Amino acid sequence: MPLLEVTQLTKHYQGGSGHVTALEDVSFALEGGRLLGVLGPSGSGKTTLLSLIAGLLRPSSGEVRLGGSAVHLRSARESAAFRREHVGLVFQDHHLVPYLSALDNLLLVPHLRGRVRKADRQHASHLLTEFGLEHRAYHAPAELSGGERQRVAIARALMNSPEIMLVDEPTSNLDTERGQQVLELLRDQVHRGAMTCVMVTHDPRMAAQADQTLRLVDGRVVTNSAAS
Amino acid sequence: MLAVKELLGSKLKFGLIALAIGLVVSLTMLMSAMSEGLVTGMTGAKRSLDADALVFQGDTALSLERSMLTDEDLAVISSAAGVAEAYAVGHLIVTVRGPQGSFDAHVFGLGGAFDQLPITEGEPRSPTANEAIVDATAAAEGVGVGDTLSLTPLPGELRVMAFTESRRYIMAPAVYVSLDTWRSLRAASLLAPRSTQGSETGTEQGGDGADGPPIYATAALAGTASIMAVRLSPGVTPSDLSATLSPAFEVATPEEASLAGNGMNVMVLAVNGIQLVSLLIGAMVIGVFFYITTLHKSGQIAAVKALGASNYYVYRQLLVQISILVTLATVIGVGLALGAGSGMPPAMAFDPNPARWVLSLLAVYATAYVGSLFSLRSILLIDPATALDRAEH
Repeated sequence: MPLLEVTQLTKHYQGGSGHVTALEDVSFALEGGRLLGVLGPSGSGKTTLLSLIAGLLRPSSGEVRLGGSAVHLRSARESAAFRREHVGLVFQDHHLVPYLSALDNLLLVPHLRGRVRKADRQHASHLLTEFGLEHRAYHAPAELSGGERQRVAIARALMNSPEIMLVDEPTSNLDTERGQQVLELLRDQVHRGAMTCVMVTHDPRMAAQADQTLRLVDGRVVTNSAAS
Repeated sequence: MLAVKELLGSKLKFGLIALAIGLVVSLTMLMSAMSEGLVTGMTGAKRSLDADALVFQGDTALSLERSMLTDEDLAVISSAAGVAEAYAVGHLIVTVRGPQGSFDAHVFGLGGAFDQLPITEGEPRSPTANEAIVDATAAAEGVGVGDTLSLTPLPGELRVMAFTESRRYIMAPAVYVSLDTWRSLRAASLLAPRSTQGSETGTEQGGDGADGPPIYATAALAGTASIMAVRLSPGVTPSDLSATLSPAFEVATPEEASLAGNGMNVMVLAVNGIQLVSLLIGAMVIGVFFYITTLHKSGQIAAVKALGASNYYVYRQLLVQISILVTLATVIGVGLALGAGSGMPPAMAFDPNPARWVLSLLAVYATAYVGSLFSLRSILLIDPATALDRAEH
């Protein structure tokens, strides 16, 4: 049984210029322990898809099921609790809290769950070491390079040992070499930890390195590598 | 965690806003102390009379200056149902010639109950004839314990036997004497000026002949006290006493009586109005500051909400920051207010009342939290989905 099932997912917006269809009739499935690359031009609905899977948005119609559980039926409060416990989010602009050190940014995740235990501190230190950031643990985001910030953001997303990681354009602000490093980091985490990851990207070279690729154009799936 | 770390990470920004709120707090504290000082200075001697109720002559609007009770009145009040104890109080405005010049004073004749006066210097006992317990603010006029005060235009003199405190009336020191001394001073105040104008009967205590004192003076001399201070039996209220007595009397608590007359209610209203405006300004400063801060970091808040933070969590962080800032501002504000108060001349109405300061500070906290509601609205409106690429929406 697939970990993630998206069925006939549609999302309309009421924008300033009228009715906008961001996603239309999108369906696909993703097995656990695999990296899905969602590819498409700007405005194709990639990020909307990510938001719907994360429970940040509610679909106009269709279903999102994660581990058999209906994400699309959850209230905002339930979705927030679900993300705290089971989802790792990596934003395009990393969104690290500027006044927290790299270590504290990681500890924010258990803090939001209610309590920072000694094991959480050990886990955070371990992740920073694994990502080659142990010497940057007490540095603020402003003191880190773009690549370091993105690595801290990925480490933060791993703090709750998520079932699924949702990653939005992780390499868009990085040069090719650093982008490749970040992607390898993600692949390594997915394959070592048997974790599932959905990565949105506009870069075909990055998407090509995923286990499965979904190509979106104008809110519709035009290619699903799993189906071919 | 987030709240405190953000404060520590932006010390200058939050320090400046704490200073701004601190200035508002100090203004509020100053207004509170000046309001209290004004009330004490204007009515301290009246308000602090040790009594459950004060009984005035009817139709005098609780005015100490206009009320006059006769022997018969005092007897009626003393024997009224519900009255446990009563003592007469006389009031008279005089001019005192002190070591540094003349100043106004209010002579209060007490028919007992002198132990109600807190003695700060001198002998703690009831004054004998021509002795007085004087409010300590008279020291600013060069008066000391043991001095003899000359009263003008009266022929009397009073020896200062002790100082008391917080007993002023209409911003002038109160001078406490025995009721007998007060009666003789009052008689002199009514008659002595006429004797200097050549009246042959000016020193008489009455008389209704063609050569006697004018009828109004005779009528006034019949009064033996200005008001009566009453301690009520358990369970009896001033309203009960008012209902018992005839309409020829007015009954009020010392607090109510202190706010009547001399424009006191208008003055207190004005000072309280300034305090209220100060609090509103404080609420606006805090509200607008945190509203702008919240808007400024809406992307960050969206990201934290996307990671799973609830609106309650985000708002709680805001409340923690407000609490810390207002506490810091309170320390700054109280320090500034006390510093300003200590630099004021003794004649200035500045009388910090701890209970009122605590109330004012609670009001500052309350208005700060009300101000935070601006931010709560924007927190609720921040969509966590915007933490992801907004361009797609």
